[in-house]
Amino acid sequence: MRLRETYGRQSGPLWPLLTKELREITSGRALWTMLLLLCPLVGYSFFQAVSLYSEASTAALQSPVLASSLSPLDGILVPTLGSFYVAVTLLFPFVAIRALGQEKETGALHLLVQLPYRPSTLVSAKLAAVLAAWMLASIPALSAVVLWRILGGHLAPAETANLLFGHLAYGLLVGALALFSASISDSAATAAIVALAVTIGSWVLDFTVVGSPGLLSWIAQLSLTQTLRPFEQGLLSSGLVLGTAWAIFGLIALATVWLPPGVPPRSKLRRSLLWVLAVAVMLGAATQLKLTVDVTEDRRNSFPTADQKLLATLRLPLLVTVHLAPEDPRYADLQRNVLAKLERAMPNVSVTLGGPRQGFSRGNSDESYGEIEYVYGSRSDTSRSTSPREILPLLYALAGVSPPVPTPRSEYPGYPLVASADATIFWFFGGLPLLIVLSWWWIRRTPSIDSSLVHEGGLS
Amino acid sequence: MRSAELPICENPVPPLSVRSLTKRYGEEPAIDRVTFSATAGEVLGIIGPNGAGKTTLLEAVAGLLAVNSGEVFWHGEPLPFSRRRNTLFYLPDGVRPYRDEATSQVVSFFAGVYRRSAAETADTVSSVGLRPVLHKRVHELSKGYNRRLLLALALLAPHPVLLMDEPLDGFDLRQTREIVEVLRNRAARGRTFILAIHQLVDAERVCDRLILLAGGRVRGAGTLNELRVQTGLPAGSLEDIFLALT
Repeated sequence: MRLRETYGRQSGPLWPLLTKELREITSGRALWTMLLLLCPLVGYSFFQAVSLYSEASTAALQSPVLASSLSPLDGILVPTLGSFYVAVTLLFPFVAIRALGQEKETGALHLLVQLPYRPSTLVSAKLAAVLAAWMLASIPALSAVVLWRILGGHLAPAETANLLFGHLAYGLLVGALALFSASISDSAATAAIVALAVTIGSWVLDFTVVGSPGLLSWIAQLSLTQTLRPFEQGLLSSGLVLGTAWAIFGLIALATVWLPPGVPPRSKLRRSLLWVLAVAVMLGAATQLKLTVDVTEDRRNSFPTADQKLLATLRLPLLVTVHLAPEDPRYADLQRNVLAKLERAMPNVSVTLGGPRQGFSRGNSDESYGEIEYVYGSRSDTSRSTSPREILPLLYALAGVSPPVPTPRSEYPGYPLVASADATIFWFFGGLPLLIVLSWWWIRRTPSIDSSLVHEGGLS
Repeated sequence: MRSAELPICENPVPPLSVRSLTKRYGEEPAIDRVTFSATAGEVLGIIGPNGAGKTTLLEAVAGLLAVNSGEVFWHGEPLPFSRRRNTLFYLPDGVRPYRDEATSQVVSFFAGVYRRSAAETADTVSSVGLRPVLHKRVHELSKGYNRRLLLALALLAPHPVLLMDEPLDGFDLRQTREIVEVLRNRAARGRTFILAIHQLVDAERVCDRLILLAGGRVRGAGTLNELRVQTGLPAGSLEDIFLALT
């Protein structure tokens, strides 16, 4: 008779693995400490945001023009969630690293990798636990959104959901980075250093090279914080979403490569290189996706609807040559008011910086400095304006089309609100921390023993 | 329990054989051309002093450590690295898994992963004497109870071959006898145990056959009687034999 050869089941049930991962991440102190720190952090940001918004609203209530500039997205949501972003950048890696670092440090990883799951399944389960941890960590920020509504504030569903989605994508990216760091490090402390080096390094990139041309600009795009910026501006970019998804996938794939002990480092390096190349190709492809939706209620990232429709029909390449230094404020105006909108509205727009860099800082006497040249098909024109009111007619003239008839549209009214957030202090500094401590205690209590473990009449 | 269904192998080819396994750290060999085999239902002891290479050998066989050369065979066929976990389960030494979880949760996790029935799980818990501490968190367990927990996890794994690193470490004499009894019972049902043990008295008590390892090399292999003949010590204890061979 032949001995039963192997334990044939290739894949174990997912539920025990997922619940174990969830228990692991919620039983540690890191998550609860982060939650407790988030309460005053988010609470104070929210309190400050409401106070400033109320001050601005007091004057805006008398003037519709001023009121139209008051958007809860800019005034409340972005600053309040900004503190959450800081906490996710600095604290969330410690929470996510625990999902893997703890098992590495205690030696339990040797047991885990022998279970009937693929390494990719193990890492995916950990990412699911990290996602759950992020959702718990977002409770203070979400409660601020709810409090804003309770105070009578306005929320535009699309832009609010878009911003929250951006924070989710950023949180998952940081979580995946932390898991990868844990997979390549022997201890949680080393993993934390690796993860923080990247997240804080992103800030350094932001401060030093954003706005710079050429290679520096490309390097700046690698900053993790760039992930969140379009969402904060009310843009939903398909390229960014896909690129972030690929980056998360790539980090998880690398964590999967580095998870199993017993594979020679050279083999891991070889497989890692292949993954890095594959993900780099996919990221490159994602950057080619131009579809971006302006989800803001005031449509700040778009031209008027009639212009948007007409510009979308202009199929020939539009080449814009800007004779401005990147640090020139006029370039920033042009970029925000015209070029970025054109790139989203027209199918084929190329923007190049022409002329010497020293034009702005050294007061170059070059007369062409400040000019912006537009070439559409075989026709070209030049302007110094940074306003769409002058540039759009210029473009229509180049394309030989009549400007669209302005359609009457409801102006964005703005949402001024004079409210006091004093009472919310009690929630963020009292009620919510108390609830978190109680939840922590509830999670940490000794569980009741599963009756099956003390089942009488076993096989003995 | 599933392992109880395992019949004793009648195939002349030993189910598990290890050939010329070598692992070097730099130029220093941790294990050097180690060759041995194990039959179904056997308790095979790998004995040797600290630093002999026992843990390295078990991890290399289990596929948790990359080796420089050598192969593992299952019923005469190479057992690739990726399939080792389907056949072998390795219980490491010095592990305190999932420290913040209750003992019952850790046991339930393994039982759930391996789809063990309530009766099977309860039997395993009972057999290793884990019931009194099921409510405790793992970090609260004594060394002995932590060892019992690890044994329970290994016994819940349905693999035909279990590799255990110092499974009797941390037990007193009475507890050691209890655990030896459990292992012997499971072996009698057809499971193979390969135990790394540094306490020679314990090894003599539990193992059918022994492999003497020192300096990463096999210095002798066989039953106690075979080793006595080999060393010309007809009444020698395992300790005497070990000293004679190393």
